[in-house]
Amino acid sequence: MTDSLPHRPLSMLRAVVVAALIGVAFFLPQLFGGSSVAYSTLTTIALFAVMCYGVDVVLSYLGEVSLGHTVFWAIGGYVAALMSVHLGVNGWVTALATIGLSVAAATFLGLVTLRTREFVFSLVTYAAAVVTHEIAFNWDAVGGSDGTVGIPALKLPLGFFTYVGGTQEELWPIAFALLLLTLFFVARFRRSRLGTTALMVHMNPALATSLGVDQRRVRLAVFVISAPITALAGWLYAYQRAYVGPDMFEAYFLVMMLTAVVLVGRRILLGPLLGTAVLIIQQNLLSLGGDWNKVILGFVLAAVLIFWPAGLMGLVDHMRQRWLRKTRTNGRENKRSYMEEVQ
Amino acid sequence: MINILAVGFAAVLAASAPAFAQRAPIKVGTIFPLSGGAGPDGQSVTNGVKLALEQINEAGGLLGRKLVLISKDDESTPAVGVSRANELIAEKVDVAIEGWNSPVTLAMQPILARAGVLDITAVSKADLILAGQSNPLAIRINSSNGFDAAVIAKYVAETLKAKKVAFLTQNDAYGNGFQSTVEAEFKKLNFAGEVVLTEKFAFRDTDFRVQLTNIKAANPDAVIVTSASNSSGLPATIEQYRQADIKAPFVGAVGIMLPTVFKIAGDANNGVVSADIYFWNLPPFATIPENVSFVAAYKKAHGVEPDKSAALGAAALQVWARAVEATRSLDRKTVAEAIRGKSIKGTLFGDATFLPNGQLQPRYVVFKVVDGKNAKFEALQ
Repeated sequence: MTDSLPHRPLSMLRAVVVAALIGVAFFLPQLFGGSSVAYSTLTTIALFAVMCYGVDVVLSYLGEVSLGHTVFWAIGGYVAALMSVHLGVNGWVTALATIGLSVAAATFLGLVTLRTREFVFSLVTYAAAVVTHEIAFNWDAVGGSDGTVGIPALKLPLGFFTYVGGTQEELWPIAFALLLLTLFFVARFRRSRLGTTALMVHMNPALATSLGVDQRRVRLAVFVISAPITALAGWLYAYQRAYVGPDMFEAYFLVMMLTAVVLVGRRILLGPLLGTAVLIIQQNLLSLGGDWNKVILGFVLAAVLIFWPAGLMGLVDHMRQRWLRKTRTNGRENKRSYMEEVQ
Repeated sequence: MINILAVGFAAVLAASAPAFAQRAPIKVGTIFPLSGGAGPDGQSVTNGVKLALEQINEAGGLLGRKLVLISKDDESTPAVGVSRANELIAEKVDVAIEGWNSPVTLAMQPILARAGVLDITAVSKADLILAGQSNPLAIRINSSNGFDAAVIAKYVAETLKAKKVAFLTQNDAYGNGFQSTVEAEFKKLNFAGEVVLTEKFAFRDTDFRVQLTNIKAANPDAVIVTSASNSSGLPATIEQYRQADIKAPFVGAVGIMLPTVFKIAGDANNGVVSADIYFWNLPPFATIPENVSFVAAYKKAHGVEPDKSAALGAAALQVWARAVEATRSLDRKTVAEAIRGKSIKGTLFGDATFLPNGQLQPRYVVFKVVDGKNAKFEALQ
């Protein structure tokens, strides 16, 4: 009792600050002028960030690069598109179907890749994405190469009234809520038994084995819970764009997912969100033209991976350590701690 | 960057021309791929729009107001196209002229329609674009697959009077769709012959010798080839077709004989028959005054004659401008209804007649290549 007392005001303060920041974040579109571009840009950032968190969970806690998350992204988009166009069902139904189907797909892909590690894992997940892309591209029942048009506005019945998300302004609260839910989920996951065990499996497999951890089960579980996150982003994207086609498998989204995660740094809660924001803002507001954007994106990605594998936060840490080393005398210790962080 | 330039340019002009300065300019937005593989094509369409726009400004503007161009790059990526469409909406453009790739157009259409921006598709060919689900007021300048298939079917059935026909078809929505429409047209024409063979290939293929050997063995009277790969697959097909020494005429689908094909396959193209909807120097276009002045202005600005892409861009702007002039309105519905199902005079295509679904009725020129190295051909019919 007495021990926990001094912490209480601090955690209260923390909760208040977090709540205030969430409140401010919700009104960001208005703070940026309230134009339709502000709404659509921020909705897109929120949506793509959710998409990236699925990859982040696998990359940060299993240390595996999944190149197959475009499959889950597309599952969300196609389920929302096909069910709302052909069956006329509301957003809750399509969201539930999205979760169900993406979990099933992830379980299958997870079982197939259970024995694979690193390079082979990436290759197999990529192959899954290529195969699914070809099927979606050639199968007329899901729209073929033209895709599906005429997706109606998102309808979410809430008992006494139905929330309709047609315009960017109306979709922003939903994208924001989905992002908050995702952040909450990932934050809980980091502290959960599964999250900490996954990190141990990733960082020290020998220790995990000696403690009797079933590594395959942990890997499968993490992969499966990552899928509905990315899939729900695809679900909302279908309603935002009102068109779904095989372009959802394109490298554009895959590169976005991977870059957003590694840019800021792994295992940082807000990392993928900040990474996505930087990328989208650069593309939309500070664009240098399609060719140059790709050149610069590739250069930045290569530079980050080569010089600061821990991402931009790693660079910030590195600077801080340097500064500390200059002011202190025992530089060796600090240098070592930086190296540990990098690894 | 381009926006800033365009606005700056407009500001300078407005200051120097008092007649224009009284009222705010009318904004014309374009979204085409300006970078990547389709970049040169998208730039060509954008140049066409820009030149037609400058011609209108030189003649005193539209409704007494000046036109300004806001040009965007969709990078051939639907997600990027959507962002660019949102940017044009924020700039409050009065019309958006867009579309090289069908998926990009399909993704942008609902965004522009919801925002109440008039949207004219210049090039993208998918049938869904005019289906009315994503944009009930859709308008398209480029020919549709249905018309394209009809002109090819008619040539093979009635001009060549072929008895045995073979297809060499790209295996995707474009190729298979084109073939099935040609076959449907054969039925409509009570075609007496038969389809003896269908060979398929993938968009990225460059080796067609197996398919061509089978075609030679089937000994058809005409081979209908559908291929969208104008910079690798199609020139390779034509060269290998000659090497296989197939005697039947090579009938290419509409719009596939682009400059890259002539550049790569050269004289192997001699004898290829195809059709298209615009040639700057062939009848009927050579005698249309709007086309003559456009060709002269284009040559002066870019040093070359306009291709079909540039003409489609220019026609899109001209059709819209004539409709605005006639209705004295910039309202999306009013202007769209003055175009859909109506005939617009004074474009570089002459009198442009639109079907009720927004499709421009194309005028085809069926041609035969006579000097492939220099991309020279003669009009048939």
